[in-house]
Amino acid sequence: MTALFGTPDIAIGMKGSVSRVRLFDGPLDLSWRHCATTSDFIADLFALRFQSSRNDYMEVRHSIGYLVNELIENAVKFRAPGEIVVEASMDSECFKLKVSNDVLGEIASEFQSLLADITVGDPKDLLIQRIEANAANPDVGSSGLGLLTLMSDYGARLAWIFSPADENDRICLETYASIPISQTHN
Amino acid sequence: MEIKTDDYRVWTEGSDIFFDGAMRLASSEAGAPITALATSVLASNPASITLNLKDLHFLNSSGINLLAKFTIEVRKHPDVRLVVRGTPDIPWQSKSLPNLKKLHPALVLLMN
Repeated sequence: MTALFGTPDIAIGMKGSVSRVRLFDGPLDLSWRHCATTSDFIADLFALRFQSSRNDYMEVRHSIGYLVNELIENAVKFRAPGEIVVEASMDSECFKLKVSNDVLGEIASEFQSLLADITVGDPKDLLIQRIEANAANPDVGSSGLGLLTLMSDYGARLAWIFSPADENDRICLETYASIPISQTHN
Repeated sequence: MEIKTDDYRVWTEGSDIFFDGAMRLASSEAGAPITALATSVLASNPASITLNLKDLHFLNSSGINLLAKFTIEVRKHPDVRLVVRGTPDIPWQSKSLPNLKKLHPALVLLMN
């Protein structure tokens, strides 16, 4: 069964030209370091067109890098063994990202109950509430703070689609994100 | 006191804590040495503590959570003044540092 969380309209696919990076598990021995190198690469690539304004360039490069890094970090941390596919595109208004990887069924269930909590309400309030709860009780864990930071501080719209994978007890997870890109300086 | 890796450096000068580089912590456990360093400064009961972040170019959400938790710790000591120095030139700082002031309204946030 397929389940969707978050903003449905951004989860309907990537339009236009898409850049795709595929992180293979075996030869790369995927590790934490790949999150930074991959996100920096994608941010450099997409921010190039803003080079005429230093401020726009810095802002766009950082926002894309932050978004991609957080979502690849989550994929590296929670994936079942296997590849991670990162797809990105940009138009004049927003940068769009899709990260696909498999997760184990048990992880998918835990993640779905987290998403049910953090996708309803104002992300700015939810972020502060969750930081307070996490500080008061470390057992709560810090899961969700990265996603809430993206929604609260970067204006990110996020969506997740869970669908059955080919292998038993594995779920295919697609994470979609969109952040506004505004050109403020000419 | 100093914590140094290939990517970032954290050190103290009196009750000022300086951060430099790009910090991408894999988990809250990975930030434990930094929390220990900051907690030891708080334990010395200074009149004020300054977190100087002006050279910290990147901080992932685990790192931001570490700063948030320390802010909440300092909030429990009303006699300790907490100053956070950032710069508007580094986007994550102008986007996320105001959250610390929401957690601890007496915190002094200097963005210049």
